Amino acid sequence: MPITILAPKPVRSTHSKPATHIRNPSSSSIDSDDAPGGANLASPGPGNPDIMDFISSTAATRRTDVDIVTPGETITDDPQWMRGHGTYTSQPTSSSDTLPAIISSVAGTLTRTNKLLSVRPLRARYTPEVGDLVVGRIVEVQAKRWRVDVGATQLASLPLSAINLPGGILRKRTETDELQIRSFFAEGDLLVAEVQQLYQDGGAGLHTRSLKYGKLRNGVFVAVAGMGGGGGVVRSRRQVWTLDAANGGGQVDVILGVNGYVWISKHVETPETANTTTGITNLEESVSATMYSSQNDQIGVETMREIARLRGVVTALVENGLRVDEDMVMRGYHEAVEMALLTGDADDIYLGGEKGEQLAAALMAV
Amino acid sequence: MPLDTSAYSLALLRVDGRRWNELRRIHAQIRTQAAADGSSYLEMGHTKVMCVVTGPSEPGPKRGGMTGGVGGGGGERSSTADVSVSVVIAGFSSVDRKRRGRGDKRTLELQSTISSALAASLHTHLHPNSTIAISLHVLSQDGSLLAALINAATLACIDAGIPMTDYVVACTAGSTSTYAANDEGADPLLDMNHQEEQELPSLTVATLGSSDRVAVLVCESRVQVSRLEGMLAVGVDGCKQVREILDRVVREKGRRMIQEGTIEKGMSLDDMDID
Repeated sequence: MPITILAPKPVRSTHSKPATHIRNPSSSSIDSDDAPGGANLASPGPGNPDIMDFISSTAATRRTDVDIVTPGETITDDPQWMRGHGTYTSQPTSSSDTLPAIISSVAGTLTRTNKLLSVRPLRARYTPEVGDLVVGRIVEVQAKRWRVDVGATQLASLPLSAINLPGGILRKRTETDELQIRSFFAEGDLLVAEVQQLYQDGGAGLHTRSLKYGKLRNGVFVAVAGMGGGGGVVRSRRQVWTLDAANGGGQVDVILGVNGYVWISKHVETPETANTTTGITNLEESVSATMYSSQNDQIGVETMREIARLRGVVTALVENGLRVDEDMVMRGYHEAVEMALLTGDADDIYLGGEKGEQLAAALMAV
Repeated sequence: MPLDTSAYSLALLRVDGRRWNELRRIHAQIRTQAAADGSSYLEMGHTKVMCVVTGPSEPGPKRGGMTGGVGGGGGERSSTADVSVSVVIAGFSSVDRKRRGRGDKRTLELQSTISSALAASLHTHLHPNSTIAISLHVLSQDGSLLAALINAATLACIDAGIPMTDYVVACTAGSTSTYAANDEGADPLLDMNHQEEQELPSLTVATLGSSDRVAVLVCESRVQVSRLEGMLAVGVDGCKQVREILDRVVREKGRRMIQEGTIEKGMSLDDMDID
């Protein structure tokens, strides 16, 4: 027998030290990109806390520059901290006398609010909060409410009592309204709303009791990542604004839903701005006529082109890992218009691939 | 097809040149599909699988269930999220082009094993009335299929940001001689490839992270009970190595996201001084 290799002693070798010796020969064959697999396992650095097991000790070298925690990683066993979202406490077993430790349950970054430790995931679905402006799509019509997809883990609900009924804000809700519930919103309709309350199970209750909210038309829908983790739309001062589009595109509205759903549409003059002399009751009545219409207005080709360009900007921002807010969209849009001018073709609205990267690079440089 | 397992006793090297305790090359990626909630791609040697996670999300409208009340909390709604797994084995994935239907018993067993293993680790109580749909596609098979599927599903769930107790990591272990040989001095082997799986007794073991808590243990071949302990110990140790590799993949992705500025930098506990 030319090669002598130690006979396996697996039964005793599963714990601590002997296991690390077994790891060393194998670590060279596995796909190790930059970190030397088991190199620092046998001799953990002097500064490593005792609570970290050998898995964390390899991570400890990385934790100095970035602070990513991964599921199962012990954050602390100091009893002064409280656990927040993205963490759980270990149940101390009777055999060991260790304190209940706070352990991460998602991969993400650690945040602290006073004594509350929480982990923000790298990416997750949108988690609703009261006051959020969201764009959603009706998926189900029930007897007294709609179920709205807002990109969260559960469908949000929009009660019939939480919408502006045609014919004035003070009008009493009647049984006729319940019977005609589809005349307001039907399945597939898009709407902009505000989160009014949160239910026990994490679902959201919406309302559209403002002229700012309601059914969406005359535009295009884009779904990107929202608040909850990862990039995409961030909560900011202004989620809705109107801009003057280039190349004779007229005015364009942009609605960035906090849930990552974006609506870009042609700006339509509301009676509120068009006629200031109208009284409050008249205003409500005049609004109500068009409020629940599903018919698009006439949209010029120029406006359509600029709407499509804005859509390209939003997707390019997300693809290149940039945040989506008013400032970035506006700068990105101006940059995109410039880029189109350079090519000499205003109809050139493609912003994918290399052009998207070019756009992102220009935005990062400023 | 007799495998030349006798060669092992001469050089202590396996058919693909590995030693008894060596894993095959593991390559993993997360966030391979931008549109999905969570996705991953995993190679263990020549076994290649892809995973996409959708959810947690509410299942579509229920038939005839017209409940008038506002908000959740109905009696018939479940208090935990449902983990549904679907495994699709591509026709071109193995050497013989076998046609596997939807109701294939082997596939169904894989699905239910993965589903129960992940449901135990995922914090499903945080997402009531919702479903976590895990869709797995096998692109190439070379042994340790169940282990690769579990690892890929874990990575995709982490990418989707679903809270979990710890990684569920899996690998296989076997023994160097067959049951019939009744060899007392048989060595345990780590991470079986297809050829070894055909010839030798093997088991798949999944553990919860780097702990010794076993989440899945599947053994479909005859093996002396005296050898089982050694195989299990080697398998559990292999799981710890797999966890470290997967953990590195996740950290690398997180580090890149911070560098690109997609997510804000976190803080370390060291600079958290109270008062």
